[in-house]
Amino acid sequence: MKAVTVLFRTCMILGCIMLFTQPGLAAKKKSKQADKDPHTIVTKEANTIDELVEMLDEKKCGSCHPKIYREWERSWHAKSVVSPGSLKGVHNFIAIGLPKEWNKPLTKAELLKCLDCHAPIANYASEELAVKIGNMIVTAHKEKDNPAGKKAKKALEKLNVGCVSCHNLKAISVARGLRGDPKKGAIYGPTGANSGGAHKTIQTVDITRSVFCMQCHGKYTAPDGETIQCNTLSGSFQNAYQNNGGTETCQDCHMEKSGKSGRKSHLFPGGHDLDMVKKGLGLKVNFAQYRHLPGKIKGVKNDKAWVPSAVVTAFVENKAGHRIPDG
Amino acid sequence: MVLEVTARNLEEKDPKKQVLYSAEKTWFEIGVDMDRDMRYGAWQIKEIIDLTLPPSQTQKVEHLMNFDTDTEEVEIEVKLLYYISGGKGDVVYTEKKQLTYDID
Repeated sequence: MKAVTVLFRTCMILGCIMLFTQPGLAAKKKSKQADKDPHTIVTKEANTIDELVEMLDEKKCGSCHPKIYREWERSWHAKSVVSPGSLKGVHNFIAIGLPKEWNKPLTKAELLKCLDCHAPIANYASEELAVKIGNMIVTAHKEKDNPAGKKAKKALEKLNVGCVSCHNLKAISVARGLRGDPKKGAIYGPTGANSGGAHKTIQTVDITRSVFCMQCHGKYTAPDGETIQCNTLSGSFQNAYQNNGGTETCQDCHMEKSGKSGRKSHLFPGGHDLDMVKKGLGLKVNFAQYRHLPGKIKGVKNDKAWVPSAVVTAFVENKAGHRIPDG
Repeated sequence: MVLEVTARNLEEKDPKKQVLYSAEKTWFEIGVDMDRDMRYGAWQIKEIIDLTLPPSQTQKVEHLMNFDTDTEEVEIEVKLLYYISGGKGDVVYTEKKQLTYDID
């Protein structure tokens, strides 16, 4: 009997070893693959847009995370510099705000008042490149129908809010005192899942919090203290949603989990997406038909007749965690 | 965001005369600079005057309509539109109701 028990225990242990070894093998295989083509994030000062983009080489992210990458490519984060609204806004700051109102030249520090959010990687541009990018934005907007404008826009398409923007550059910035600076080359995520050697992964809860999104989706304060208001979502979220008992995060709605994997969506739908707008709003209408007393309404054809009337009551509901609309 | 309420006499062929009642309510924000002058530039706006729909709130919008004494039938349409930018709004919700009246 004792021998049977020992045999049973041995089989159980071997079974467990087998179970745990399989994913290990898979990770090892993945690691070997990654070693051949490692995803490295080198951060240094870049002198051209290509140098800037090559440093992060975010297309590589798509080779292991194709679904997420495809979603992101369709998102507004992927066109955060070249969307018409962004181009116009940044153009106006560079062409009107700086020279005509502030009487200041275009510098990297000034441009970062826009690009720290619209293309965080611009933090690694040299002073000269930053000014060049600023001038390209002006050309892309001002001469959008000319070859020069189209060429500038094509080059600017490489700048965006990409993988590294959220998963490194901005990942732990809201708690910098506690967390320190983001580690170069690391990818921060909510699970810290093993990347198989493709990159160092660091688990952080910060990226799941609303305050993480609010770094840019709210009033932005530049290092010199200047406040920039592209939108003010964070204001109504904190002061009118959370203080009324709201507990959902930005990510709960704008990165809603999908599919069997329960993976968070990287499409980030918002005001541009009619389905998302529908989710955030409600409309109920009551129609009350009646006839108004004769002689009480002026200007009707027959003041002795009952007056066909109605009271229409519409109830417009904001189901979102922030005010609607937001700038 | 705009709520449009329109009452039409569908028996009237002339589109200009068809509309018996029309009104709209707009939810929006006004960005102001330090002098409280209205501004559009993100770098200029330092505060806002908030005329938007706050989160987790329902607002009631009422319209009283009195039609002419010979009006037999009206169609009332309520549209909620969302303007992401510029002049073109997307219809988020629409509700319609036809009302018929006995005339003296």
